[in-house]
Amino acid sequence: MSMEEHTITILVKNEPGVLSRVAGVFSGRGYNIKTLCVAPTANPEISRITLTSNADADFTEKIKKQLDKLVDIVDVLDYTGERFLKREMMLLGLKITPGRHAEALQALNTLGCRIVAMRPDYYIIETSGSRSENDAVFQYFQTFDVEMMNRTGCIAIPLNPKNDPE
Amino acid sequence: MDTIGADIVLQILQEEGVEAIFGYPGASSLPLHDRLKDSPIRHYLTRHEQAAAHAADGYARATGKVGVCLSTSGPGATNLVTGIATAFMDSSPVVALTCQVNTSLMGRDSFQETDIVGITLPITKHSYQVNNVNNLASVLRRAFQLARSGRPGPLLVDMPRDILASRCEKADPPEETPSSAAEKVPSNLDQLGKIARALNMSERPVIIMGGGVKLSNACDLMRALIEKGGIPFTTTMMGVGSIASGNGYDLGFIGTHGNELANSTVHQSDFILAVGMRFSDRSTSLIDEFAPLATIAQIDIDPTSIGKNVKVALPYVGDIRETISALLNLVESRDRSAWLQRIQQEREAKDFCLPFKGCGKAGHLISMIQEAMPKETIAVSDVGLNQIWTLRTWKARTPRGLITSGGMGTMGFSVPAAIGAKIGMPDKSVVAICGDGGFYMNIQELATLSYYKIPVKIVVLNNRHLGMIRQIQDLFYEGRFNTIELGNHVDLVAVAKGFGVPAERISVDENPEAALAALARAEGPHLLEVVVDENDYVFPIIPPGQANTAMIHGVGD
Repeated sequence: MSMEEHTITILVKNEPGVLSRVAGVFSGRGYNIKTLCVAPTANPEISRITLTSNADADFTEKIKKQLDKLVDIVDVLDYTGERFLKREMMLLGLKITPGRHAEALQALNTLGCRIVAMRPDYYIIETSGSRSENDAVFQYFQTFDVEMMNRTGCIAIPLNPKNDPE
Repeated sequence: MDTIGADIVLQILQEEGVEAIFGYPGASSLPLHDRLKDSPIRHYLTRHEQAAAHAADGYARATGKVGVCLSTSGPGATNLVTGIATAFMDSSPVVALTCQVNTSLMGRDSFQETDIVGITLPITKHSYQVNNVNNLASVLRRAFQLARSGRPGPLLVDMPRDILASRCEKADPPEETPSSAAEKVPSNLDQLGKIARALNMSERPVIIMGGGVKLSNACDLMRALIEKGGIPFTTTMMGVGSIASGNGYDLGFIGTHGNELANSTVHQSDFILAVGMRFSDRSTSLIDEFAPLATIAQIDIDPTSIGKNVKVALPYVGDIRETISALLNLVESRDRSAWLQRIQQEREAKDFCLPFKGCGKAGHLISMIQEAMPKETIAVSDVGLNQIWTLRTWKARTPRGLITSGGMGTMGFSVPAAIGAKIGMPDKSVVAICGDGGFYMNIQELATLSYYKIPVKIVVLNNRHLGMIRQIQDLFYEGRFNTIELGNHVDLVAVAKGFGVPAERISVDENPEAALAALARAEGPHLLEVVVDENDYVFPIIPPGQANTAMIHGVGD
């Protein structure tokens, strides 16, 4: 069976150990979690876990059932596919050699990145977008001296309002 | 005396109807063991925490109530692990209470500290660590509720020593839960109608029952369904005994060590109604060749069990008792004499008419044990050849009359589980049937038996080897026997007597009547060692990695 990336978002009660239990559902069946984001929702007692994992087509249904069985899980939703907007964020620490400032600033502008901290010889750049957009940004700045890179996993949201006909 | 956490624990145990627990004290459990002195709850001190967990499991399997075990922190807690995993694999409702080092010492590699919640994450339904004494009551109530609801299973509650010792107000009264007395109606009658139609239209149906049928107390309804529809049935290992054998529709149990008739019938069937089972590898063998002609309908309360291992055309999630009760009205009586005749012809040709179902002299002996013991005796098997001999030959007369570690296959299970079964069902006789290998694994529980004078009867089928592994080496490793000889140098009768358990030894070739009468008659614990030939195996058997139809009948087959 072909492996593809699945995006799952899980609403959980904010209890100790809940992330271990969720991770255990994946690791116990030999699946690798590729990206992971966790943050509280508007209700501070509920957190949202959004994760991606490479798996076969059988995967989402089985994993969803296993996750649903966990006591601290409120809801499990499959956010795989085109009907969902997905975003990741990336921070880059960029060393700037004299003479390349203009080039860097122009690239930042073109690529839609933001400078969040800067010294004459060092910029911290923030960018967000789809994974492939972030990949492209990272790729471009390889031509500079990237000292640090840190990027988040994917977060996602449905493109259409809840009750919209599909 | 002030009310402390330990009092709350005991108060909730009483509220949940717990009369006996199995445990072992240590430094972290002292507040609780101290207050147990004044509690009506009986505490059985096993000689190893693993045995406490198996005893709680055996208690749960025999009674249908939640079994409780208790340990201290660190090694006490980790010793429970095999017992918890055993209960988990067979969906047995157990609450494991572990004590933990003081909150202030946690995370410092303190003496006897271990992360037992982390260790048991994949083998519990859920677990809690209590960090506020005022939450103790609600957490424990929830643990009991979770252990017995849905697909039952083990819960673990880890309680730091200072929480057990700290003062608190009396526990809140339990929350009023909406009465569940009203008969619930299955939620999806459409789907049930589809299952009934497919069953009614099928020419060659077969029912497969798993342990879930017993857990849901639905054995009587399953019998009614089988008789109304005229449908032959088989069980998984955990389902053995759901319906008293011998009503003509019984095919035996499926799988690697099961009956050839069951495997062959399932293979030929055009429709399978699977109830309370998960099509584990031991039931299906080579999954790609399992039941190639059949449409499969599966009923289970656990959605993850449905379609876990095979493709299911007609899934149904629901309580088995409720579901079968509704299905019963929809199933029609149909003439399937051609199918039943075909099965009958095979029955006469296959292992059902083998002497003692392919279990040889040991099988004969087990049926004689059953004759010697009172009618409603509970048999608890260990794991290995003794297990297959027992499951094939013991005629279970009540659904909870035959107890075995099916999913986990835990050697050493039988004696401590038999202790739990006897404590839970004091009016019934209990016999543990084990091999010498499994007997060694919890041999220390002989001391528990003699100390409390618990009249559990033990039969050790001693072939001086790990018999089932020996059979596999013999058949599939060209007879290269290795690491399976336990030896002939231990005098088990003397060992038992040294533990204070009267014991006797016979050979399987002798007339066992006098020895079995003594076993049945004994008022306290009693052990009978039966010397068995190491070349006595179970046949037929399915070679590893092959299909259910590939059963072989002998060493040279």
